[in-house]
Order: sequence, then structure tokens, then C-alpha cells
Amino acid sequence: MKSVRIWFKKSGLAVYISHLDMNRCMTRAVRRAEIPLWYTEGFNPHPYMTFLMPLPLGQAGVREPLDIRIEEDMSFDEIKSRLNSVMPEGIEIVDVREPFNKPNEIAAAEYEIETEFLSDGEAEGFAAGATAVIEGGVLNAEKRSKRGIKTVNLCEMVRSFECISQGNTVKTKTVLAAGNSVNLNAELLMNALFAEFAAEPEKNSVIRTKLLCEDLSVFD
Amino acid sequence: MYPKKIEKFLLKVQKPGRYTGGELNSVVKDKSKVDIRYAFCFPDTYEIGMSHLGMKILYSLVNAREDAWCERVFAPWVDMEQVMRENNIPLYALESGDALTEFDILGFTMQYELSNTNVLNMLDLAGIPVKSCDRKELTPIVIAGGACVCNSEPMAEFFDITLPGDGEEVTNELIDLLKEYKAKGASKQEFLAAAAQIKGVYVPSLYEVEYNEDCTVKAVTPTCGAPEKVEKRNVADLDSMFAPESFVVPFLDVVHDRTTVEIFRGCIRGCRFCQAGFLNRPIREKSPETVEAQCKAICQSTGYDEISLCSLSTSDYKGLEKLIRNMLPWTVEEKINIALPSLRADNFPKELMEQLNAVRRSGLTFAPEAGTQRLRDVINKNITENEMLSTARQAFSGGWTAVKLYFMIGLPTETEDDIRGIADLAQAVVDEYYKNENKPKGKSVAVNISVASLVPKPFTPFQWEPQDKPEVLIDKQNYLISCVKTKKVSVSRHVPWTSFLEGVFSRGDRRLGKVIETAWRKGCRFDGWEEHLDREKWMQSFEECGIDPYFYTARRREYDEILPWDHMDYGVTKNFLVKENQKAHKGETTACCREKCAGCGANKLNGGVCDEISKNLV
Repeated sequence: MKSVRIWFKKSGLAVYISHLDMNRCMTRAVRRAEIPLWYTEGFNPHPYMTFLMPLPLGQAGVREPLDIRIEEDMSFDEIKSRLNSVMPEGIEIVDVREPFNKPNEIAAAEYEIETEFLSDGEAEGFAAGATAVIEGGVLNAEKRSKRGIKTVNLCEMVRSFECISQGNTVKTKTVLAAGNSVNLNAELLMNALFAEFAAEPEKNSVIRTKLLCEDLSVFD
Repeated sequence: MYPKKIEKFLLKVQKPGRYTGGELNSVVKDKSKVDIRYAFCFPDTYEIGMSHLGMKILYSLVNAREDAWCERVFAPWVDMEQVMRENNIPLYALESGDALTEFDILGFTMQYELSNTNVLNMLDLAGIPVKSCDRKELTPIVIAGGACVCNSEPMAEFFDITLPGDGEEVTNELIDLLKEYKAKGASKQEFLAAAAQIKGVYVPSLYEVEYNEDCTVKAVTPTCGAPEKVEKRNVADLDSMFAPESFVVPFLDVVHDRTTVEIFRGCIRGCRFCQAGFLNRPIREKSPETVEAQCKAICQSTGYDEISLCSLSTSDYKGLEKLIRNMLPWTVEEKINIALPSLRADNFPKELMEQLNAVRRSGLTFAPEAGTQRLRDVINKNITENEMLSTARQAFSGGWTAVKLYFMIGLPTETEDDIRGIADLAQAVVDEYYKNENKPKGKSVAVNISVASLVPKPFTPFQWEPQDKPEVLIDKQNYLISCVKTKKVSVSRHVPWTSFLEGVFSRGDRRLGKVIETAWRKGCRFDGWEEHLDREKWMQSFEECGIDPYFYTARRREYDEILPWDHMDYGVTKNFLVKENQKAHKGETTACCREKCAGCGANKLNGGVCDEISKNLV
């Protein structure tokens, strides 16, 4: 048995695949690719497969990790090319390698967000306002957790935040807390900012670009 | 690919995956290079439609042609419908994102009577007139197939063509004909008249229906050379019949998400309430070799880890043991589970059963359908209490602790004894569990009884029977619940109002067309979904149209009455159905086809061949 970390890109149509559906989708892809998956030995054997940091519905990811275990040895290149030949539109395997960091080392994630407004003025105003709010250090919002809904200060989970406007579009680059203990969904942050300024964007697209460790080194 | 315009709404509706397309194995072609664009329309949600085998077959079949492109369309859920209406987005097909108006054929599958309003709603969402007579152009031509078109009369105003019987061959012939007529610039009328000459094609508008004063049918007269009787289409040989080698693999969790391969068509059992058992005669079997090859191909192209062998009664498949023995080695190796729906465990080798359950264990289900032997004889459900209890005993000793039992109420000649019999039978199964000495310690047994209501259907021996009114069914359900004395037995029941509407439309006539349209205009759709069924609106619609719905359900029909579907021919003779009806009332059973040919007449569709008769002759 050998652990393998698969890095994939999720974009286009695939952003509408929810986490649960993603699970089924990848299981089947691995079966179609005839990769010698290791199955659990319980009452209902199932392939060992873990998405380390599930992407929320609607968000794209540039480099997302998936851990699997295989029974027999197979080269990483072989796994990558086999998988890519059976992947549905919108999911692409970008890398296959041995896991380096432990899954619980994920502490933050970097996002690139594009927000389109009806007018240039609206975009400009929002970019300036959003930057000021994050710098001010207080943005309260309701956040759902396992223990119910509570109000939290989102700024405490923002590690960095840059926001500029270009025409009617606002481009945001931000690093947010991510992982099992503290996690901030980029969508939630943006919605809180929109609510703060009663902004109604035409479109808001979120791309997760990197997963990071506590010291902001790249999770690998 | 969905139309660009819808992108910004996709994250505002439930399950956007229903509307995006792009699934693995979905077929995208260059529309400038095909002659016929076919939209396969399923009048219910994506999750239900994507589970339907007929769609998978026809999708692959049409796409196997170079000159045609088949795409999929499902009924948008109410949240998406609202988005589409508010933003003027016409209903589109998932592969191209093109509106339905750009298609040549819109093919609906009618599996369920309560999908009728969804058909109208889908046409309207595409900006297409719902009535056949208001669609003047040759295309899109609106066609329908599936079990419900054995009586298309309630939908006769809306469909241009219906296709009773097997769709594999007739679909290709119809596409060929449309291609020819489209190329020569023919009118819709010319095309319809020519289509009516193809075997297995029904063009409702070419038939005139007259009524008696009591609202029964007086006469049905064909015009423009259409045949007097429309014979259902029958595919003779299942081994050479087209079958798909890959399925579109949905991202969403759909109802049945697995490899499904048919093992035979038809049924030898002759249960008198069962429409599928009569509509699909004669028996035609697929060879185990063909079945296995098809299963393998689909598993490879999809990555599915479950295979369902599909038929009306799996145990009656002669090649079953051979098939399973051949398949087990590779399915176990690849961790693929084989599901055998409607398997009678009594005559199936125990060791095979154990191997089948090695991958994943399935549930245990019986369908006694009626609570007493007397009533089981009436409906010709040939299963005895002893057989059921001995199978249950076997299963309990094998470690099962839950059993599902399926029953019907509202059956002809039913009395209180029969209903109490349901509870008694469930109790007997519970008792059987406690007789088992090796039962798991501290574990209780769960017996779930599911109670449906009989809806008498066309082309069954019960087609003349009155259907219980909803109030009566509710009383019977309540009585049954009062008879259940233990918490180990739970009862789930159907909504009687749903059964009532199913009954109206399954045995309805053309006068119901305006009721369907009225109800749809009042906002009825997804009527098969309990939360959407609006009883008030339906009852108002019947009243506004001056139609008594109980005329269709509560009345006993005479044997000599002209039934609205009498001009359709499913092979089984009316005489045979009359005899079966009479035997039902006498409580006499009819042996299954394997024991003795009952002479139903369906073999004439197959050049005299029925896979059961041929065996009997040898």
C-alpha cells in the first residue's frame, strides 16, 4: 500500500460539482483509469480517498489536493496520464506526487476573486471601501459552524487582503485562514463586504490558487 | 453547455448540476453537420430522468447515427423555472444549450400519468405552442413513447405522434422519414400522414372520436389512410437489438446511478393488476453472453461499481444462474456489486446468493401484493405464505434483520379480512424472526410494509374495474394501521389523491385534454410530487371543463363498451383479458406462461414466436 497525493484543477463547468458529487466523480474516474486502488477492509469496502480541503460549490481551484492509497506500485506519471484520459470536462490532473505535508498542516489559502459591477464608479467605490474595512480590522458576520450560527469578526481570519478596481471589475487577492480548526470561505467574506456597502455585483467568481501552511509556505 | 445568459443565476438555484451538462460520456456534435436534431425530453427532474434506462438506450441509438444528434432535456425545478421565466431564458438542451425551438424532434417519454402537465410546461418554457394544431411548421415535431402511450388519448391534443411499444427500431425509421420530408420541404400534414403508415406509429390527429350521450366512446374513425388498429412495435431479437455501451455519468446523486442492462422483455407471471406484464409481451430473452458483454462495456466506460440486471421478474430468466456464475469472478475482483431487483429467493442457489452478497449486501423485499391467499388468487399473484415465510427464515438465519413487504389495497373483491391479512402476514414474518435460534443478540427485526393503491390500467384484466375513491382508500389505510399491533411493523402508504388522478388519466379519453391544459394554466406541474400536487386546482379544472372525474375511475365498464384505447393493439387479445377478468372474480388462478401457454395472443406480434412457447414445443 502506498499513499499518493493527486493535485487537480477544477474550473469551468466543474465548479458546479459539489463536494459530495466530486467524491463520487473521482472514485469513478479512478476506477475507469484502472488504478489499483486500495480498498478499506470494513463491512462495506470502499476506496480510500480524501479531499484535503473541499472546495465550496461554485468556486474554482488551481491546485487542489486529493489523497488516495494504491495497492500496487504505479508510476506517478502513469497515474497522471491515465486519469487525465478519463476526466470529465473541467477537471484536470496537474500533478501526482508523494504527500509531503500532513493534511492538518493546511492553515491558509490564497484566493483570486473577480467581481463585476454595472458601473466603473461602483467598482471603484467598493474596492476602496473594502480595503478600508479590512484595514480597520472589524467586519462582523454570522458564520455557521458545527455548534450553530454565531457572529464572528471575519477580519481575524484574514491574513492579507489587496483589492483594486479596473474598469467595472474589482480584483481581490487575499489569504484567508483555512483548515479544520479555523476556516473562512472567501464567498462569505465577499458577501459580508457586499452587505456592508449594499453592493449588488453582477458576477462574483472565486478562484483558490494555493493552499498554505501556518508559516505561509506552500502546502505540498 | 448551458447558455451564457444563465450563468449568473446558476448559484442561486438548488443543485445547479441539473442545468449545466458536460457530464462524462455526454455527446457533443457539430450542429452544422447533422440533419436531424433530436431533443430527448424527460418530463420530470434531472435526477429521475437520468435514472431512466429508455433514455440511455435512445440517446446512444440516435447518437450512433452520423446524421443526427440527440440531446437531453429535463423539467427544470420550480426555482429554475422562475429564473427562466423572469429572464426570458427558453428551455434548452443540456449538450448544446440551444433552445428547443431549434430542434427537429422533441421526444417525450411518458412513464407516469402525472407528468402530463410537465410536458405542457416544458413546451411552453421553450415558447412552443402546447397544442399540436397550433404548431403549423413541420418541425419541431412533438412525439412521445413509454408505457403511458398505450392510452395517449388524454394527451392527444398535444402530441403529434406517439410510439406504442419498443422504440429501438421505430425511432430510426421516423428520423429517416423526417429527414426525407424535411429535405423535400413537405408540410407537417404530409409528414404525419406518411408517418402513420410506419408500424408502431400513432398519429392522434388522424383519428376522429365520437361519443355516446352517456360520454362513453361511440366510434373511433381513422382518416387519411391511417390504420384502423395501431399495432405496438415489437423488437423480435434482443441479442441483435441496439444496446448502449456507455451511459452519461451524472455528477449529481441521481435515483439509480449504476450500470443497468435488460435481461429480457415481457413477463411470464400474468399478475392481473400489472400493466407492464401485459404491455411487453411476448417474452423475449437476451442471451447471458450478450448481457455480460454489455455489462462489462458499460462498467468500463463509466466506472460504475454496481450492475443492475433489469427485467420484470429476474428469477424467471432462464440463463440467470449461468450469467451470475460467469460474472462473479470479474465483478468480485473489480469490487462491483450485482443487484438483482425482483428476485425470488426461494429457487435461487444459496451459495450464489452468499457470493453475490460478498461485495455489498442488498435489502430483502417481498411483494405479496395482497394479505390473503384468496385475494392473491384473484390477482393471480402466485406466491404462498409458506414460500414467503421459508424465504424469510432463510434470510434471518443469514443475518438479515429488516424486511420490506409490498402490498396493494383497493383490489377487486377486497374485504376487511384481506386488509387485516396484511397486518397478519407482517406479524407472521416478525414471529419467524424470533423463531430463529441464531438471531443476533439484542437486535430487533424491522418489517416495513408499503401499501400502494390499485390503479386499474388499460390492457390489463382489471381495465373494466372500478377504482376505490380516495375516501374509501383512506378508510382502508386507517383500518390497516389499526390492525398493526407491534412497533416492529411500520406502514408507509401512498397518497390516495395521487392514485385518483393517475386513475383518471390512465383510463381517460380525449375530453381530458382541456382539463390538463386548464390545470396547467392554473399552475399545476410536478403533480407526482406530493408537495406540488394541488388537489383544489385539479378539482376546479374538472368542474370548469364540465367533466366528472369519477366517470373514469369509479364506474364499472361493460365488456362491450368501446374503450378509448381499443384502437391500439398490444398483441394481447381483448377476449383473453375478458376471460382473465372473469377468472379473477371467481378466484381462479392462471398458470404462468412457463407451465402452460394461456393463449394471450401476443406471439402474433413476433411472427408467432414467444420464447416461452418455443420452449414448450421442444
